Amino acid sequence: MAKPFTRRDFLNLVGAAGGSAAVFQVTTALGITPVIENSMAPRLSPLNGRKCKVILLGAGISALTSAYELSKAGYECVILEASHRAGGRNFTLRHGDFIDEVGNPQQCQFDDEPHLYMNAGAARIPHTHHKILSYCKELGVELEIFENDNRNAWVQDPKFNLGKPVRNKEYLADARGFMAELMAKSMDPEDLDAPFSELDAELLLNFIKRYGDLSDKGLYKGSTRAGYLSGGMLSPGVKKGVFDFSELLKADFWKFRMHWAEAPDQGSPLLQPVGGMDMIVKGFMKKVGHLVTTGAQVRSIMNKSDSIAVEYEHQGKLKQIEADYCLNSIPTHLVTGLIHNFPTRYVEGLKAVGRGNLTKIGFQANQRFWEKESIYGGISWTNQDIQQIWYPSHGIHLEKGIILGAYVFGNKNGQMWGELKHEERIERALLQGEQVHPDYRKHLSAGVTIPWHRMNHMLGCDSRWSQQARTSYFKVLQQATGRHFMMGDQISYHPAWQEGAVSSAHFTINEIDKRERANRVASL
Amino acid sequence: MNGFLLNTLFSLLLLFAVSDALSAPDKLGICITCHGVDGRGNEAVGAPKIAGMEDWHIRDQLLGFQKQYRGTHASDGYGKEMKAMADFLTESEIEELIKWIGKWPTDTTPATVAGDSGNGQVLYAACAICHGTNGQGNAALKSPALAGQNDWYLLRQLHNFKSSRRGTHPNDGYGQQMQSMMNSLPDGEAMRDVVAFIQSLPIPD
Repeated sequence: MAKPFTRRDFLNLVGAAGGSAAVFQVTTALGITPVIENSMAPRLSPLNGRKCKVILLGAGISALTSAYELSKAGYECVILEASHRAGGRNFTLRHGDFIDEVGNPQQCQFDDEPHLYMNAGAARIPHTHHKILSYCKELGVELEIFENDNRNAWVQDPKFNLGKPVRNKEYLADARGFMAELMAKSMDPEDLDAPFSELDAELLLNFIKRYGDLSDKGLYKGSTRAGYLSGGMLSPGVKKGVFDFSELLKADFWKFRMHWAEAPDQGSPLLQPVGGMDMIVKGFMKKVGHLVTTGAQVRSIMNKSDSIAVEYEHQGKLKQIEADYCLNSIPTHLVTGLIHNFPTRYVEGLKAVGRGNLTKIGFQANQRFWEKESIYGGISWTNQDIQQIWYPSHGIHLEKGIILGAYVFGNKNGQMWGELKHEERIERALLQGEQVHPDYRKHLSAGVTIPWHRMNHMLGCDSRWSQQARTSYFKVLQQATGRHFMMGDQISYHPAWQEGAVSSAHFTINEIDKRERANRVASL
Repeated sequence: MNGFLLNTLFSLLLLFAVSDALSAPDKLGICITCHGVDGRGNEAVGAPKIAGMEDWHIRDQLLGFQKQYRGTHASDGYGKEMKAMADFLTESEIEELIKWIGKWPTDTTPATVAGDSGNGQVLYAACAICHGTNGQGNAALKSPALAGQNDWYLLRQLHNFKSSRRGTHPNDGYGQQMQSMMNSLPDGEAMRDVVAFIQSLPIPD
């Protein structure tokens, strides 16, 4: 058993924190604070009439970005896309859209109204994702705020509060209150010794009281941060009762979800394109849509001494094109099923990258029942295996809305959802949703299920790099083999984010630019 | 966009989606998403080589998935994935599929399983009775060819039989036969050895 934590130990920790704050002040003065990573696309040297052809495989965000930038510099680009649409995992579902799941093709039955859409893949843009945000600006894609961390949405866990949901803010206020009370009780100025002065101790105690909304005596007696039980307008606000701390600890919420908005990509504000995430795809397609062939399934990629050849099937015909470079954003785990002449180590790398199995389930709601519960956008968290319920940030106070009835990550859970039949997924999601909203089922229809590891031409969502695979193979796959470059969010430290895709695209076209500059010098 | 245009577009998209593989019978082109170009197998998604597979074996297995004696065990994730696809096929589509697969070239598969093929050869004697001396298979005994199949897939299936993930369903008579033979391969090492030996056999004609 560990030895008890003394007040002295505690103060040592505080002293250490004071130390780091001092360091931070010095570095700020010297200008060493974090700077925003360059969001600009690489400045490609224009070809000025010389010929250079690039084949891009897959028409997701990385290929669209690359083709857009390369075209500006005079490169001839061809984009081959195996599926029926461009965008990859930037996929917005609307009335009539085709969902190409292997073994379970669906047609989206949402009503035909502009706000009735669901972003089935990418669905939020963090304010720090400068590259994709600057393309939104450049392509005229209007953005709006996406509510990610809604303190008034629900927290539900069968192990906690008899499974009855509570508001996110109530859990948060109580948990912080109790933590602060514990800290306050350990602060007795008489017991403090140097270098911690009485003034320091008083400041710290005040900090703790403010942090947990404690009484003057340092006790947690509930907080209006949790919301009012009643009143607050024409009569005094009445505080809610307080959960027992041991009850709060039963919920899994504190392990991960309570800190959701503290994660680097999840903090407020986040953004979304007005009208659907695929407005970004549409923006790119206005520029490079004429370069895209859909329904073109690649068979082989062969590096030759002074070119690269790609064979593909299109409308029942076998076709071949040759180019100077091939930028390949086909998922690594599908490239291994093609004919190719890549080196052994490169193929080992392709095989070493795992495939994520994220699943989303959406419903149309005939009325926005969550808004009657004062929930506007954001996420309710449940410990059941639907994991989350998302409410749309757009279309507020309109009659209908599209609700995300499950957003599942985690290997075991994701696999389980994929193995269920469509109808079983819908039923399971409804049953679990009813634990959060009693009348859930009554309002919902037109369920769609998107297990990304079962989607045709994808068979995976986020690339899963083990630490070992990162160390052994990331650089191998990031560099070209011959004239072939792997690309996309899969070749970044941000898989499943569009920023990862754009970053990888910028890296890759910069490599091509370096080669072409060298070629030009060599030919002088 | 108005409803008519959207509907037309949707029909066109559907048409694209189902006819996107060379001479693939309608909606069957989807096989190569997992099983790779010309059914060459793709270890990264756990989908075995189907090029060179015997007509009767493809038919039996697809029907097995449909009739619930394959791909229903709770911990057979890959089997469940395949079952969803098999359930999707009609009888005539299965026949079309068999013809299509029959046109594919069958190449050697890379060795990925390390084992003692000398010891494997000794162990293989028990397998040879049904699967043939050269792993060429025996249709009369409903024993499929093993030579030319992905070694990692053979190993996975041996483990499936050993752990009762496969070959225990009452309607899977041949599977049960195979499961009873697993006594001759006592552990993982024996399985790897025998697979390493099978890997060294030439592809049957």
